[in-house]
Amino acid sequence: MTTVQLRIGRPATLSGQGQRRAEGRAGGLLALPAAIYFGVFWLLPFLSAAYLSFTRYDLAGMPEWVGLDNYRKMAEDPGFWNSAQVTLVYTAGSVIPSIVLALAIAVPLARPGRLNGVLRGLMMIPAVMPLVATSVVWRIIYADGGPANAVLGVAGFGPVSWLTDDGIALWALVIMVTWKHLGLFVIILTAGLQGLPPSVYEAAALDGAGPVRAFFSITLPLLRRTLLFVLVIAVVGSMQAFIPAFLLTGGGPAGATEVLPYYMWSNAFGFERMGYASAMAMVLLAVLVVLSLVQFRFLRGGGDD
Amino acid sequence: MTRVLLCLVVAVMLLPVGVMAVVASAPEGGGAEFSLFANIAEMFAGGDFPVYFRNSLILSFGIGLLDVLFAGASGYALARLRFRGKKVLFVLVVGTLALSPTVVMVPVYVIVHQLGWIDTYQGMIVPSMISAFGVFLVRQFALGLPEELLLAARVDGAGEVRIFATIAVPLLRPALLTLFLLQFLTQWDNLLWPLLVANDPALWPLPVGISQLQTEIGYDIRLMTTAALVTAVPPIVLMFFLQRYYVAGLTLGGVKK
Amino acid sequence: MNRVSRRSLLAAAALAPVLAACGGREDKPQAPADGVPRGDLSVWLHQTRAYDAVFTPLVEKYTREFREVGVKPLFIPVAQLDTKLLTAFTGGSPPDVFRVGGWTIPGHARKGRLAPADQSLSSGFDKTAVDSLTYEGKAYGVPTDYTLCYLYYRRDRFAEAGLDPDKPPTTWEEVADYSKRLTSADGKKVGLQWILGNPQWTVMQLLALVKGKGGTILSPDGSRATMATDAGVEALRFYAGLGNAKLSNPLSAFGLFASGEAAMIVSGLFAMDLLPTLDKKLEFGKVYDIAPMPRFDAGPAVVPAYTWGWAVAEKSEIPHTAWHFIDYLQRPDVAAEQLRDAGSLTPITGWEKLEGADQKAIEIMAASAPDADFGPRTPVWAEMAKALTDAGDAVAHGKKTPEQAAQDFDQAMRLAL
Repeated sequence: MTTVQLRIGRPATLSGQGQRRAEGRAGGLLALPAAIYFGVFWLLPFLSAAYLSFTRYDLAGMPEWVGLDNYRKMAEDPGFWNSAQVTLVYTAGSVIPSIVLALAIAVPLARPGRLNGVLRGLMMIPAVMPLVATSVVWRIIYADGGPANAVLGVAGFGPVSWLTDDGIALWALVIMVTWKHLGLFVIILTAGLQGLPPSVYEAAALDGAGPVRAFFSITLPLLRRTLLFVLVIAVVGSMQAFIPAFLLTGGGPAGATEVLPYYMWSNAFGFERMGYASAMAMVLLAVLVVLSLVQFRFLRGGGDD
Repeated sequence: MTRVLLCLVVAVMLLPVGVMAVVASAPEGGGAEFSLFANIAEMFAGGDFPVYFRNSLILSFGIGLLDVLFAGASGYALARLRFRGKKVLFVLVVGTLALSPTVVMVPVYVIVHQLGWIDTYQGMIVPSMISAFGVFLVRQFALGLPEELLLAARVDGAGEVRIFATIAVPLLRPALLTLFLLQFLTQWDNLLWPLLVANDPALWPLPVGISQLQTEIGYDIRLMTTAALVTAVPPIVLMFFLQRYYVAGLTLGGVKK
Repeated sequence: MNRVSRRSLLAAAALAPVLAACGGREDKPQAPADGVPRGDLSVWLHQTRAYDAVFTPLVEKYTREFREVGVKPLFIPVAQLDTKLLTAFTGGSPPDVFRVGGWTIPGHARKGRLAPADQSLSSGFDKTAVDSLTYEGKAYGVPTDYTLCYLYYRRDRFAEAGLDPDKPPTTWEEVADYSKRLTSADGKKVGLQWILGNPQWTVMQLLALVKGKGGTILSPDGSRATMATDAGVEALRFYAGLGNAKLSNPLSAFGLFASGEAAMIVSGLFAMDLLPTLDKKLEFGKVYDIAPMPRFDAGPAVVPAYTWGWAVAEKSEIPHTAWHFIDYLQRPDVAAEQLRDAGSLTPITGWEKLEGADQKAIEIMAASAPDADFGPRTPVWAEMAKALTDAGDAVAHGKKTPEQAAQDFDQAMRLAL
């Protein structure tokens, strides 16, 4: 094991003023379009939203400065707390199983081979179906006499009111998004696995490491950057997802699937309380940035940035 | 054994697609005869769907390519080059990921309006043309590039931009292809923004077109699933086409190492 | 550049996207001296296949007749109509003419987005319908697609249960009684099924019950919520007692009615045309039928109603042309054609005499019209409807007692009003 020398992942360094200047020029050049883009289409709108979070703004006339009122209102708004809780359960429930599952599938699937290629392609099919239309199919699947209950019946369980039982609807949503996103996670992890040098496996095999040990002691540490990426994307994605709830359950039954982004959406475009919606967005942003930093710290190994 | 399990997983994942096919094959008003082709014909009958297809292709290919270009360049720069404002840009990217699209929608709309881009392709393309997700993805992959190759090129006196174009890009191919595919899919599925920006049906992409099948009480289930089935075809074809290059990316990395 | 000016520049930049849309127009556009309408009109409306068939030829006819006018219609799915309108208003680029739900008019009007309707124009319509488009004494639209609620029922299910299909229930007590007899032992088949989780229908359904019990949802001046009263609580209790909240169908209660699992639903005129498209076996008068909205024994008759309206943006540069076009769309001969071909009723004065595809529907509507109730008219309608839906769903799912749900509703509205 220790004989394997890993020399990937360190930033290429070449000392000297000239090199620094060259990197500065090239880096600036390569990053400039992105910098302009994010400045205009994200920083500017973000600043507006941050400003609006301290105002009452009903999408007409001038925003009216109200200080911290919106943030105070959040603390006593049962709708906010309900949706925060729903979001938490939804995120934990969809991120953890789908990443574990994706990893379990990606490792064998990353090996070359015609069958694996075809399977990879087939796995992506749910991800490429338009959500507007797939949600219609899931409503059929979850209907009383629908396929989901038929499957349960075969397994010996009674029928379930998937979308209309307030204890189950959120999990019905989780199943749908896991189905939808699994293929994406698999394909990103596969790309990460394929980027790993095969020599480390050969070395590990020579060392006599079994496949399970090789997975935990070699694959997993080497894959951590990709894993970090998938984790951050999955957490951020599910904490901001409102389209699935919007399309499948409309937040119901009785608020059971009213995730925070959906509640924000209702406030912004339903109730025209853009100030309050912006305040919620700022809180969500803060939470997500902190969560992302924690994940960075947690998953960053030795020398990378 | 693993193969059997994998096939089983894939089969389960394709079950809903099967359900979709069954629903899309039902005739209008219920019944047993197989009507998939009649339904497809009905969908295309108005002559609008080919237009939606064209627009979806323009948006998905356009944004996909722009994203690969710009997110690829900046993601690489963030990972491997030292330059002024690097930290700020990275914070901006992570912050963008974490910012709710809901609250920036109105300000972005106002900016697009100010630019005179309502009802144009650029109004639909430019605000989505670089994804924070993409920059982040490429950065994570670029961090893992073998440093020896870059060093060797530097010693040879190659410029940094050239190193990026000739050495990093081929090595980053799996990541860039993944990014292209994901951005393509995101745009293929994007309903809300084009709906807000495009008032002219000649500019509508597929999701906006399909959403016209909504009715007062829900939607036309039969035509909606038919549309879903048909619109899934181009991305599926694209994906199988790109498969070849995934494998190429793998062997390339292996040989070079 | 010093620090302060840099900071103020930043603040200005941050505000630019918000403030750009502000600032009204200084001079009101005048009607052209020759009275000839001209200019390009953008017209936004939600898609309904039936109305399309009438609207599109009408637009062609109009532009042939008035050659200096161009009309650009845009069909928007009903679920996204409000979002698109709001974004356009906020961005400063609303359409000239648009079709909106009457219940959203007070909200838009309060925010100064709408041009008041021409007096001469709104006078030709049913007064209660026009009233529902009025805010602080001014009408802001002319009514189109007007409907009152009916009790829809399945004749086949009635016959199966030994009930006379020609004698539908006339009181809510009877509805409850019939529902018991129509409900199967496993609860999979029910009598009346409410349309749950849908704000607009929740308001109409609960309106009938609350008012029928002698209460109100909001106080008459709209300043506070009044569900936590005997009438409100009783209404919620009755609401929870009917149907099975756990039944699920991709098209909600409409789908359950089409499949026969629900024997009764409350719905509007549009369902007459819609139901047969869900299942071709659904034949009006044979498989399903309609009856007037029930009332409580000894309670007042309450028939929930709604109307859509044509409105003109305050910002429109050619309001004269806009109203001219609306006037054209709303002519009596068009109204007759619309009702016959699209099943959509334009409430022109004397609409009771128009001929419908199904005369029974028009007769019932005409008889119920004096009891039409458009529900609370408030600028925070969306918030009220959402809170009421939360309350109704919570009791229907047994998550809250009617008392608790009523109190929570009143509390939520205290924050909103």
